[in-house]
Amino acid sequence: MESPSRSSSSDDYRYMQLAIEQAKLALETLEVPVGCVIVESGEVIATGRNRTTETRNATRHAEMEAIDDLLHRWQKNGLTPPQVAEKFSKCNLYVTCEPCIMCAGALSILGFNEVYFGCGNDKFGGCGSVLSLHSSSSQTPQSGSSQSPPKRGFKCTGGIMASEAVALFRSFYEQGNPNAPKPHRPVLHQLSQ
Amino acid sequence: MEGVNTWDIVHVPSKPRFPPDNQPTVNVFASAIDPKFANSIVRRLNQIAPLENLRHVKRVRKERLEGGKFQLSVILCLARDGEDHLKTIPADMLELTSSYQLSAFITKVCGFPASSKEEWEEQCKLWPTSYHPPTYNIDGITGFSEEDAQSVCSFTRFALQLAAISGVAQVHNAAVIVDPSVKQVIASACDDVFYGQTLTEKTNSHNSCHEQISHHHIDLNGAATQTAPCSNGKPNELKHHYGSVSCLHPWQWSKQQAYTNSCYWHPLRHAAIAAIEYSAARDRQLYPGPAQDIDGFSEMEQVQSSLEDSPLKRQKTAKDKDDARHEEDDNDRTLKLPRPYLCTGYDIYLVWEPCVMCAMALVHQRVRRIFFVFPNTHAGALGSVHRLQGEESLNHHYAVFRVMVPEESLAIVK
Repeated sequence: MESPSRSSSSDDYRYMQLAIEQAKLALETLEVPVGCVIVESGEVIATGRNRTTETRNATRHAEMEAIDDLLHRWQKNGLTPPQVAEKFSKCNLYVTCEPCIMCAGALSILGFNEVYFGCGNDKFGGCGSVLSLHSSSSQTPQSGSSQSPPKRGFKCTGGIMASEAVALFRSFYEQGNPNAPKPHRPVLHQLSQ
Repeated sequence: MEGVNTWDIVHVPSKPRFPPDNQPTVNVFASAIDPKFANSIVRRLNQIAPLENLRHVKRVRKERLEGGKFQLSVILCLARDGEDHLKTIPADMLELTSSYQLSAFITKVCGFPASSKEEWEEQCKLWPTSYHPPTYNIDGITGFSEEDAQSVCSFTRFALQLAAISGVAQVHNAAVIVDPSVKQVIASACDDVFYGQTLTEKTNSHNSCHEQISHHHIDLNGAATQTAPCSNGKPNELKHHYGSVSCLHPWQWSKQQAYTNSCYWHPLRHAAIAAIEYSAARDRQLYPGPAQDIDGFSEMEQVQSSLEDSPLKRQKTAKDKDDARHEEDDNDRTLKLPRPYLCTGYDIYLVWEPCVMCAMALVHQRVRRIFFVFPNTHAGALGSVHRLQGEESLNHHYAVFRVMVPEESLAIVK
C-alpha cells in the first residue's frame, strides 16, 4: 500500500476537472450535475455521472455508475473477488460532491484507498457532514458485540474545486424545467455574472 | 433474542428507546423560589443560563404541598460532574442566587424528550417536561388494525420464504417491495452478491422485470405453507451460519472465491439494492415515456434539497428556486396519476435489518415503511449501529418496524 503522501495537488485538480466534465454531461441530460472519475496508479480507469432521472432509480449516483462499470469489466477479464478487492484498494475516487451516506457505505465496503470531493453535502453527506463512514473507528455498535467484521475507512479530502461544483448545481436549479406543463416561473437563461 | 409465541409489530423509533422508568437523566441545580419573584428570576435565568439542550424540560416546577399550598422550584443551570457540585456554579449564577437568597440543590431531569405518553408520565415524576406527540403520522406508528397487521404478517412470511428458497446453500437476505394500498408486490429480490446457483432474473433488467411482475399473482397466505428446509432459527446463536447475509457482513465479499467462472457477482447487490433496481425497471416498463415526466424530482435527492417532506408544506413555504421547481413537479404528478414516483407510498419487507448503504438507498428511493425481522447488531443502520430514521437532515424519513415472528413460523427459514 502506498504511503498517504501523494504526488502533487495539481494532479488532484486535473482529475477533478475530469469529474466536473462528467457532471456537465449530467447537466446536459437534465440530471443533477454530479460526476466522478476513478484513478488507479495515476490512470483514469472509470468515469461516472448521475443518472437517477433517466433510470428512475434514485440510487444511480455517479459513484455507483463508475463502480458498476469497473466491476463489469474486471469480471469479464476473469478477476476473482480477492483480486477485485486488491484492485479497489489501489483506487482513488474524485467526485464533485461529497459522497452521500449510501455511496460512502459502498466505498467502505469496496475498500477504496482515497476519496477526493468538491463541495460538501450537508443533507446527505457520508464523509463528515451527516455521518463519517470514511473514518473506520466511527462505527461502534451500540450493543455489546464479540467479534466485529473488519470495517474499512478511507482517507478523505474535501474542497477541491468546490466552487465549480457548486456553480454547476446553481445552473441546474436556474435552468428550470422546460418540460413542466405549467411553469410557475419562466425558464431562465443562464445568467453570466 | 427471546423466542416469541405470537406475531408482533414493534415500531423502531427515531431515537433510542429506554425503559420508561429508566430514562437517561442529567443533573441540574434547582432551587425553591418565592412565587412573587418567579417572573423576574426566570427572565434572568433565560439570559444567563438558557437550557439549550433541554428544551423539553420545564424551567419551573409547581408542587402541591400538604395543606393545599403550592411550592415553586426553578432549574438554575446544569450541574457538572465533580466531587463538590456546588463549587461548579458559575459566578453570575451565584450573584442571582445570593440576591434572591436561593439555596441550590441538585436534582435529576430527563435528558431526552419523551417519545411516548408513557415515557412522559415517568419523566414528570422526576421533573416536569413537555411532550409533543409526533407531528407526522405514518400508518402503524400508533398501532395496526387487524387487517393491516394480517397483511404485514403475510408479506413478512413471503420475505422469509424468499430468503429460504434462495438460501439453498447459504442464508441470504430477502427484500420485498409492496404497494400497501393494493396489497401488491412491486418487486422482490434476494442478496445478489454471489449467485452461482440462481441465475434467473439476474442477467438483464428486462427479464427480471417480467419475473417481478409475475409475483403479483402469488397467493401470500399460501406462500408460507410451502415446504422449505428447516432449522430452529435463532440468528444470534447461529451467527456462523449467516456469514453470507450481505448486510450482516458487508465487508466480507472480498474473501469469497467465485464459485464458477460463469457466475456473476457484485459486492454491492444486497437484497434491498437489487429490489430497488427491479422496482425501477418495472416503473420504466409499465410507464414508458420520456424521462422528463418525472424530471427534477429524484435528482433533488443528491444535494441541496432544502425541503420538508410534506407536499403541503412544500407548497406553502415555496420561496426559493428549489421549492418552485418541486412545486411544478407536484403538479406534473397529479396530472398523470397513478404513475408512481420512485417508491413513494411503498413498504419494504426485509429479513434482516439493512446496512447503512441499503438503509440510505431506501431513503433515496422514498420508501414509506421498512419492516424487518432480525436486528443486525454489527452493521445495522436502523437502530443497531446507525439510526437513519432519526437523522434529521435527510429529506425523507421512513417509519421502521421490527416484526416479531413466532418460533414455528421461523422454522420455514433455511
